[in-house]
Parts: sequence; C-alpha cells; structure tokens
Amino acid sequence: MGAITIQELTKSYGETNVLKGIDLAIDDGEFLILVGPSGCGKSTLMNCIAGLEDITSGELFIGDDNVTSVNPKDRDIAMVFQSYALYPTMTVERNIRFGLEMRKYPKDEIESTVKDVAKLLQIEHLLDRKPSQLSGGQRQRVAMGRALARSPRVFLFDEPLSNLDAKLRVEMRTEIKKLHKRLGTTIVYVTHDQVEAMTLADRIAVMKDGIVQQFGTPYEIYNDPANRFVADFMGSPAMNFVECIVFEGNLIVESGNQRHEVVIPNTQAVIDSGLETVILGLRPEMITEPKPHAESGYITQMQLGVQVTEPTGPDTLAFGEWNGQEIQARLSPEVGAQAEIDGEVQIQVDTGKAVLFHPQTGARI
Amino acid sequence: MSTINQRLGRTLIYTLLIGFALIYLAPLYVMLVTSLKDIEEIRSGNLIALPEHLNFSAWSKAWNSACTGSECEGLAPYFWNSVRIVIPAVMLSTIIGACNGYVLAQWQFKGSNMLFGALLFGCFIPFQVILLPMAKLLAWLGLANTVVGLVGVHVVYGITFTTLFFRNYYVAIPNELVRAARLDGAGFFAIFWRIFLPMSTPIFVVTVIWQFTQIWNDFLFGVVYSGPGTQPITVALNNLVNTSVGGKEYNVDMAAAIIAALPTLLVYLVAGKYFVRGLTAGAVKG
Amino acid sequence: MFKYLENQLPKLVMAPTAIAMFVCMYGFIAWTVGLSFTKSRMMPQWDFVGLVQYEKLFANPRWMVALDNLWIFTFLFIVISLFLGLMLAIFLDRNVRAEGALRTIYLYPMAISFVVTGTAWKWILNPGLGIEKLVRDLGFSDFEFRWLVDQDMAIYTIVIAAVWQSSGFVMAMFLAGLRGIDDSLIKAAQIDGASTMRTYWHIILPMMKPVFFGAIVVLSHIAIKSFDLVQALTGGGPGYASDLPANFMYTFAFSRAQMGVGAASAVIMLCGVLAILVPYLYSELRSDKQ
Repeated sequence: MGAITIQELTKSYGETNVLKGIDLAIDDGEFLILVGPSGCGKSTLMNCIAGLEDITSGELFIGDDNVTSVNPKDRDIAMVFQSYALYPTMTVERNIRFGLEMRKYPKDEIESTVKDVAKLLQIEHLLDRKPSQLSGGQRQRVAMGRALARSPRVFLFDEPLSNLDAKLRVEMRTEIKKLHKRLGTTIVYVTHDQVEAMTLADRIAVMKDGIVQQFGTPYEIYNDPANRFVADFMGSPAMNFVECIVFEGNLIVESGNQRHEVVIPNTQAVIDSGLETVILGLRPEMITEPKPHAESGYITQMQLGVQVTEPTGPDTLAFGEWNGQEIQARLSPEVGAQAEIDGEVQIQVDTGKAVLFHPQTGARI
Repeated sequence: MSTINQRLGRTLIYTLLIGFALIYLAPLYVMLVTSLKDIEEIRSGNLIALPEHLNFSAWSKAWNSACTGSECEGLAPYFWNSVRIVIPAVMLSTIIGACNGYVLAQWQFKGSNMLFGALLFGCFIPFQVILLPMAKLLAWLGLANTVVGLVGVHVVYGITFTTLFFRNYYVAIPNELVRAARLDGAGFFAIFWRIFLPMSTPIFVVTVIWQFTQIWNDFLFGVVYSGPGTQPITVALNNLVNTSVGGKEYNVDMAAAIIAALPTLLVYLVAGKYFVRGLTAGAVKG
Repeated sequence: MFKYLENQLPKLVMAPTAIAMFVCMYGFIAWTVGLSFTKSRMMPQWDFVGLVQYEKLFANPRWMVALDNLWIFTFLFIVISLFLGLMLAIFLDRNVRAEGALRTIYLYPMAISFVVTGTAWKWILNPGLGIEKLVRDLGFSDFEFRWLVDQDMAIYTIVIAAVWQSSGFVMAMFLAGLRGIDDSLIKAAQIDGASTMRTYWHIILPMMKPVFFGAIVVLSHIAIKSFDLVQALTGGGPGYASDLPANFMYTFAFSRAQMGVGAASAVIMLCGVLAILVPYLYSELRSDKQ
C-alpha cells in the first residue's frame, strides 16, 4: 500500500545535477531516513517524492501506482515541514481541517477526525489558538496533527525537529517513533542529524552529492560502512581514521613512541590490494582502558600519550596521536581523569570491528 | 560641567527640531489663514496675520463657482472626476498587483525573475518617454479624453509599484506554506484566497494608500489625457490659479489648493504609518 | 490536459501584466525612440531623418536653458534635502519627546500634490504680497524678494518648494537606517572613548552609505521627472527661464506640435535616468549576490 519504489531518478536544474540516479525500494510501513550533509540532495529527493518538484528522468511508484507525473495532492501523502508551515491566519483547528475540507470530506467525519487527532497528539486545549500563540513544540505537534488528519499512505518529514531546542528534540523524537509504531504508516524522514537517523530509522539512506552512498539498517550503516564518507558521517564521536603502513598484512601503529603490529580481520583483502598504506577506521569505543576479560585475537595493548580529555559524563574522550594523526579513545571517567593528570594512559585496542579504506579513493577494502 | 553641556545640547536639538517643524507647517498655515480672509484684508495685511473675522466665502467660491478656464463651476465637478478616476484605478491596480506579487514570490517559473526585473525597471522610467505613443493608443481605442482611458493609464503604470509591494511582502513568506497547502489539496487560487489574502491586510493598506496618493496627486497624465469634462482636480486647480479674469483672488486659490490636498492629507493623518512604509518600500529597493 | 492548464496558471495570471508591460513600456519606449529619428511634427510620420531632431533640440536655446536648470535644480535639491533630512533624522533619533508628532509634521508635505505645493509657494513667494511684504512690515522697508519674477532666480524658488516637499521623506529614510544600526556598536564606540560627534562621523555615517545612495537615486529621479511643480509654481517663467526638460517635452510635443523634437527630448531624459539607474541597480544586484 504505502511502499515506495524509486527507479533511476534524476533531477537537474539547468546544468547542475542535484540527483544523479537514485534507486530505492522502501517497504510498506517502513521508517526510512534520508541523511546527509546539506546540499546532498536529500530534501530535493523528498520534494520529488511529494511531487513538489518535477522529476527530470526516472520513475516513482507509491504502492502499485506510477505517480511520476501525478499532482502532489493526488499522491495521498502528507508532509511535515521544517518551518511547520502552519497557516498563520487560521486557528489550530482550521489548520487541521483544511486538508479535509479541500478534499470535500463530509462534515461529521471532519469533526471526529479533528477530535481524534487532537486527542492523539494532546493538543485539544490548543484548538482555538493561532499558530503565533504557540510554542515551538506545540507548533510541531499541530504540524504533525495536520499531516495525520488525512491518514495518508505515506508521511514525509522534512527536518521536522531542527527548529526545536535540544531537550524538546529528544522528546519529540521518541514521540515520533511511538507514533510510527502505532500507525504503521510508511515514513520518509529527512535529517542532517545522524543521531536522529540512528535512533529512528528502520533503514537509512546516506546521501552525498546526489548519490545514495549506502542504504541499510542503522546497524549495517554503523558497523559496516560502505566507504569512508559514510563511516565518517555516521556516529558521534566520529570514527578515527589513521593512515598505517601495511606490513605482512598487519598494520603498523606507532603510539607513545612504540611501534605495534595490529592484527586486522580482513588481512587477505589488504594483501590482495597491494597497497603500501591503508586507512584504518576504528570507532572510539574500540580504544578503551584494558578490560580484564577481553580475549580475542584482535586485542592489542599499548600506551597512548594523552593531550587533552573531554568528560561527557558516562565516559571520557581522550585525544592522543597514532602515527602522528589525532585519535580519540573512549575511557571510563575515572581512568580519563587520571589520564589527564598523567598525560598518558594504558589502553587496549580491539580491531575486531576495524574497517579499512583506500587511502586515495576512500573506498572500503 | 558635562551636564551643562548636555543640557545645552538638548536645548539646541529641541530648538532646531521645533524651528523646522514651524517652517514645515508654515505653508499650510499661510494657506489656511489666507483662504479665510477677504481680498481687502489680504492686500492690506500680511502673510501670516490671522484673519480679523472668519470668512468662508472663498471656500464656497472655490468649490462651486470659481473659473477654471472658460468654465465657472468651481472645483466640485473636477473633485468628483478625480474620485471617479481614483477608485477604479486604485482597486484594479491593487488587485492585479496582489496576483502578480503572489505569482512572482511564490510560483516562480522560468523567466519570472527576469519579468520582475523588467517590471521593477518600469518604476523608474520617466513617463515623458511614453506620453506620445500612449496618446496615440488611447485615440485609436477611442478612449482619448475619457475617464476609462485615464483609469487604464493609471492602472498600467501603477501595477509596477503595486506588484513590487506585494512581491516584496509575499517573498518573505516561506514557500513551505504553498507546498503544505498543495499537499493538502488546495490549488493556485484556493491557496491565494484562503491562505495569502487573509494575511495581506497590512500590505493592502500600504498599497491602497500609495496608489490613492499617487493617482489623486497626478498631474501629468491628467493634463495630457483628459478632456474638458474629465479633468482631474489637480489640472482644474492649476487652471483655476492661472486663469486671470479680473484681479487675482488669492483666498480662492488657497481654498481651492486645500480642497485639492484634503483627501490625501486626511489619509496621511489617519494612516501615516502605512504611508511611510509605502514610501520606503517603493523607494529603497526591490 | 487539466493538469497542464493548472501548471500554467501562474504564467496565465502574469500574462496580462507582461503584455501590458512590453507594449506600454518597452514598446512605447521603442516607439518614442523611433519617432525621435523621424521628421514628425503634428502627426507621427515615419520618414527617417537620422539625428536631425536631436540637432534641432540642442540648437534650441530653450532646451539648453532647461538642461542647465536641471543641473542646478538637481544638484541643489539633492544636496539640501540630504543635509536637512540627515540632520533632522539624527536629532530625532536622540530620544526626543513627541518624536511621532514631529515626524508627522516633517513628512506631511510628501502626501500633497506638487500642484498644491506650487500653488502655495507661488502665493508665499509672491513679490507684492508675500514674504517681501511680511519682512517690510517688520520694519525692513527696503527688503526685496522677487525671485519668482526674476529670470536668474526663478529656478531657485522651485528648489525651495521641492526641498520643502521632499526632505521629510529623506528624513524618514535616514531615520529607518539609523534605527537599523546595532545598538551595541554605538556602545562599543563609547567604551572606546569616542565622542558623540566622532561616533557619528566615523562609524554611523559610513554605515549609512546605502541610504545615501538610495536617497540620491530617488531624489534625482524626482528631479528629472519634475513637471507639475514647475507648471504650478512658475509656469516655466518668466519667459522660459525656469523650464525643466519635462516641461520642455510637454510644450513641444503637445502645445507646439513638434513631436519629433518632443520625442527626442524624452529620449534624452530617459538616457539621464538610465545613467543614474543602471550603475545603482548593478551595484545592488552585485551586493545581493554576495
């Protein structure tokens, strides 16, 4: 019903190609997140799905219907905008009713729908107010209410939380997730915030320069990034990237004036590539203080010179250098505090989940 | 020490400000007192002296019996001519400007920005350069010397400004509003009617005031395109003042001038805020 | 089909305006330019004679007077209006009581027709009964003020009336500009020890540059188009001593049936406006892009 299929979609404004051949298949009821840096084409892609922008080439299906050249209002979708786009002269109630009135729903059905939606979003007490009398969070709810009222096949969310303050953003994030669980309608959600992407999505499409870099579950995106860009973009604090010399399939890491040979999972691939150096990608949580029972073939112990630490509460990030390149380690608060005093710390490095990239192209090895 | 300086400064500022206020007010004052004197008093007394007793005869003469050229019916018929020209011209140019502004700000198409640039440019051309061909066109359409013709001219050259006003107002409204309404199922006109018009009151007031002042005060189009029966009040005033039958009646001239200025002055006093906004919006840039 | 029409609606709505604009503005300009190269007099006729009308125009002493007047008028009108407007704006911006009332007073002439302004000042500057008599009555019995009927001075009466009418507008523009300046900037200057005078001269006035440009463009535009004021105040007289190009154009095109010369003078006026406008719009557009 609400499945979306995008086939070889391109979009260009004159000479500039904004979308360069997008292929995505979104299942019915799926929560899909389009994420990427600004200018990557994610909002354009969403507008193409909505029909607010014409597609240059390619095809778009919602359910079984080819909607490539169907008017936005006939696509049976609803959208929540970054600025909320509430009609300023109408009350909250009339904002919610507007779409139903335009579609000539019967009066009593409109009444009951408005009531249901208001109750669901807990905005019953706001129905008579104008948007200008609402707080940011309330506007956000009304905007969602307006989208919900028509119970469409697909919801589109265009950076809906970016105008809220940090605390409210987290609250609304949870609320959106609950709503999705409850309604089970397909959602396409655009954001540049990778935390939002990780927490909300069933699947994520990471975009850059008008191309989908990787399309997968949050787990796949985080642990098995397709290239250096995806690895760098997803995850906070960001992944460490260190250029290392390859020595008999192992990597040379120099830390605290000592050379270590680090064992990596896909030794054969590195040898086959014939590269003299590769980029080692390792998430900060893989560089920790020594854990007593950690036993695997991928653990290396070493000293790390600590330049500065950043306590975040649950753990402390320590900044040091490998091969003269900055890395972050994730320490417990106690060890972190001591490391700040000592200027160095004993660490263990778990390369079991390390990923390797081509030093020039950034492609995964 | 510094407080004395400050006080001196404040006094200087107030003296200058009030002095200039008096200078700016002086012409209006002179017009008013002159219009209330009789000719004898004008000749014997001076410019700023108050009238000895109020005399409204100059006003009634200016309104219904002063000579404007060969006719001697006062300003009244021309006042109504102006009203007949101004009302439709203001309404039409404002409505067209609102539609244009809505398109140019929210429904941009290929070339719409160029179109806007071309229109903007029209705000600045000296009308002398279109006077002759427009006269030909009006004659060809059989609209020379008619109220309809004058209304048409004012509408055509007024929409550059009205479009500019509305476009600049609507361009500040995020396009997401149009997008949201389109997804809600509203079309081009429904969005304009139900969403944009209800929030346009301020810009409507600004535009109507601007157009009203411009068209009421127009002299150039009036003098070129009107005939004996259709002249607007500015043209009649000029004729009245420059018709010398017998001695000059300055009191009648002044009463006539005030009558001609009254509508726009009243609008200015009532809605000065919007008037200023129109001036700066129209003047500064697009 | 229906969808196609619906998508064309914005263009359809703009179409009448676009057509009117291209015909009644650009088409008419072309028509006038064309006419200025013909020997049209009473009626337009399309025998092209090159620059003959322009030669006639610039050989006409009346046109040369009008041009000279335009320079004098434009220069004085702009300089005095800018000075007065800026001064009033700066004073008004210094937390003055009754600011609203004062502003209303400075600006009301802008709401009045130039014809009314001309009529009023014609009476005030009247050589027999106007200011001259007023000052004489005060005891200065030799006082003379006859600019209105003086060949050399008549143009300055137009400057006076025009400044009275438009300087309030310049004040409003500057006041808006001053209000737009960030307060912390002035505080920073004061903390740095700058005097009020210095703050204005070195910090605030340089920031008003765009307002200066905007005001100059608007004022020069008013000046070039000035027609009704002259018509009402001096009638271009005495003789044609206070004619401006707009009055010249009107007289030759409509009263004297010399269309070719009239058209040529209109084209020259257009060129004058373009000379000011094009660099201005160019710089505006460039700063917009940045």
